[in-house]
Amino acid sequence: MLKIHFFQVTVSVVFLSSIYFHLAKRNIRISMVYGLQSAGVVALLFYSYLQKGSPLILVVVLATLAVKVIIAPTFFIRLINRHKFKFAVDPHVKMALGLAIIGLISGLVTLHIFSPLTTIIPANQTYLTLALASMLISVFLIANHKDALSQIVGILSLENSIVVFAIFAGLDQSSILDLGILFDIFVWLFVAIAFISMMYRHIGSIDVTRMKRLKD
Amino acid sequence: MLASIVSPSGLIILFSIFGIGGIGTTLLRGNNRAQNLWAHIFSITGALWGLIFAASALISNREFYVNGLATSFPFLSLSFHIDKLSSLFIIIICLSVLFCSIYGIGYVKSFYGRYNVGNYGFFYNLFIAAMLAVVTSSNGILFLFAWEIMSLASYFLVVYERHDHKNVKAGYLYLIMTHAATALITLAFILLFNHAHSFDFNTIRASVPSMSMALKNIVFLLAFVGFGTKAGIIPFHIWLPAAHPAAPSHVSALMSGVMIKTGIYMMIRLFLGILLPIPLWWGLTLIIVGSISCVLGVLYALTEHDIKRLLAYHSIENIGIILLGLGGAMVFYSLHLPTLMLLSLAAALFHTWNHATFKSLLFLAAGSVALATGTKNIEKYGGLIKSMPQTAILFLIGAMAISALPPFNGFYSEWLTFQSLIHGVLSGDILVKWVFLGGLVSLALAGGLALACFVKAFGSTFLARPRSVMAKGAKEVSIWMRSGMAGLAVLCLVLGVASAYIIKSLESLGREITASPRAGLITSVSSRQTLQIGHNFGSISAPFITVVAVATPLLVWFVSRYFINRHQKITSSPTWDCGTDITPRMEITSTGFARSLTMIFQPLLRSNLSYDTAPAGSLAPTSIVATVGIVDIYKKYIYGRMYSLINILSIYFKKIQNGNINAYILYILLALIIALAMGI
Repeated sequence: MLKIHFFQVTVSVVFLSSIYFHLAKRNIRISMVYGLQSAGVVALLFYSYLQKGSPLILVVVLATLAVKVIIAPTFFIRLINRHKFKFAVDPHVKMALGLAIIGLISGLVTLHIFSPLTTIIPANQTYLTLALASMLISVFLIANHKDALSQIVGILSLENSIVVFAIFAGLDQSSILDLGILFDIFVWLFVAIAFISMMYRHIGSIDVTRMKRLKD
Repeated sequence: MLASIVSPSGLIILFSIFGIGGIGTTLLRGNNRAQNLWAHIFSITGALWGLIFAASALISNREFYVNGLATSFPFLSLSFHIDKLSSLFIIIICLSVLFCSIYGIGYVKSFYGRYNVGNYGFFYNLFIAAMLAVVTSSNGILFLFAWEIMSLASYFLVVYERHDHKNVKAGYLYLIMTHAATALITLAFILLFNHAHSFDFNTIRASVPSMSMALKNIVFLLAFVGFGTKAGIIPFHIWLPAAHPAAPSHVSALMSGVMIKTGIYMMIRLFLGILLPIPLWWGLTLIIVGSISCVLGVLYALTEHDIKRLLAYHSIENIGIILLGLGGAMVFYSLHLPTLMLLSLAAALFHTWNHATFKSLLFLAAGSVALATGTKNIEKYGGLIKSMPQTAILFLIGAMAISALPPFNGFYSEWLTFQSLIHGVLSGDILVKWVFLGGLVSLALAGGLALACFVKAFGSTFLARPRSVMAKGAKEVSIWMRSGMAGLAVLCLVLGVASAYIIKSLESLGREITASPRAGLITSVSSRQTLQIGHNFGSISAPFITVVAVATPLLVWFVSRYFINRHQKITSSPTWDCGTDITPRMEITSTGFARSLTMIFQPLLRSNLSYDTAPAGSLAPTSIVATVGIVDIYKKYIYGRMYSLINILSIYFKKIQNGNINAYILYILLALIIALAMGI
């Protein structure tokens, strides 16, 4: 019973945080909630370690904790404070319509056509449905938000959702591969932050729609 | 002995020779002579082995499969099938390759220091190996793979002389057209796979009886347009007159003589081997398209003054003639007339072989002239028979063969096509009769026009006086080049003299292609080597015609030399020139020669005549230049309009690419949802 509650809480954290990214106005809160979402993923990975007892999984847990829960949010907050872009840029669609689309996406994944994906392990159908919805909501975040920081958080949130989906779908992979992916994310974080800094320095904003001169 | 040659090992050896030839050439960096020799010695060896291999397969009546060489790519297995049809095409390919490669040893010397001979050698051997793979594969994916390699290798050979921007442009057009054709062929195979759940030709054939007629019709149209584009049928031919002349001449010979026949090969394989039974309209379509192609091809050739483009247009004409035979065979199959089907198919196959021979010869001879003069413009030639007498004779043999003049091979295959068309006029309902009659008229017209065209080509090139400094300074080409041409010229004669036996063998081969073992043969060969069609329907004796063709000029010479002129004293003196100097400007140009014919067919060609006087408007101009031009109606009305439509659509769809990253991500989201929903 405790296990079920644990799963419900962690998956809900991932799912709700992916929705919160759409609603948040302050960039610092977005960064902190990303840390919280990642903490949910770390908790799930830690549960996996307790089940299997493999030291390599523990290494993955610790590395995920370091990269996603500590380093990434810290870097984002430092970046926000340095350039003082406290508030997120207005998205393309307003909040009400955005919420309607999120509702539509969440409803869509419960349809029968997605059942082969969400019933890979029938006992985990709810979690898989929520993880799949999180994935699509994260992609929608990248599509809807104009500021680069939200888009980067959207990509990271998408990655978290995929990890959760993989855990509940039983798509275990080698821990070495997990570490490789984490290293990739770690490097990518530096690149993304450097990109935002350069962008702000050049155009005085992190609104990607202002990069008009990059058009063909 | 034969069994060990006709085996999977024999086939592997064949491909390996070309593989070593191609890769080895690139390794011999910096030594152009070694690269040239390596590339051609291996292609000659490969061609000889291919001839031994295929001839052994035909003689021993042996066919075999190479199955089960699975690869890491899904659906792709290295499955080959050597039967009589593929053996025949291996012989056709290897004969042309053999003589073109001998010629190439001399021709490629002109590239030393200018272009990378290693690259040439690699793509040349790859191109030949790919053609052989096309005619031996028995798996759709392997076939498409080989087809694509053949197209790409030939593209790199077309743009090989890349310093000339026209070649690069021609290569671009070729690349687009060949890939459009490949797309259609791929679609045809996907539809067949969807029905048969396999890309294996035998499995597809076994599933055809349960295939709906609508699906068969779609596959036919896709395959006909796809393979027809490669074969160069009108109106999908526009790449051919541009690309073939751009390649080195012996590659042009292979492209025009052999490569376009792979389209014909696949039509025979699919329409008369796999998709049986076939409806009547398929064959009628082929005859109609063949009739149009053969007449328009030769008309466009008449207006050309680029010698290689002229030959390229004749390829379109000859593909039309082959389609007349093939279409006839398909019609006779549908009408349940197997004997006549075999006759028509034999005509198509024999003309395929003959065209490969004389067209290769003509391209090699044209290449020799172009190399010796530095231009492909016929108007700049003239009088080359004095400086290049052997090339002139060899060109003349090729010209006679393509103009269907006895005793050369072209005459016999066209005669056989006539016979099959006449049989078509005598059978079937009124529609069938009229279509065959149209084919008959087209063939007769094309034959006459081809003769006129080659009188123009030969006369303007080799007779009269040189019309340019380049023509004046021309010298006979190297022994390698002359040997290659001479081999093909001999082959033109041999195929003509032995035509009766070849036709009979091709008829028997048709039985196996169409799985009609009980079909009777309409032809017979008498003890006097006379080929007879039916009971006194038609007969021809190749040896007799050859003897007459050779003996008549000898007899005329002998009589005139030793009887008529015996007591006459021959004196040489200048020709009366009306008091003016005789200059090349007084000669009729090739454009002038073709002008009357061009004007007769003005409605078809949309030709126009314009005059340019210098100085303009003067009462006494110093020169007047008359230019006959034709409108490329295909570019103007079909491809031009298609281009405009695509352009408009592109501008419209460009709005999708608005530079907004959010929009791009939205596309990804939508595509992801659709893919997930549909994929599931």
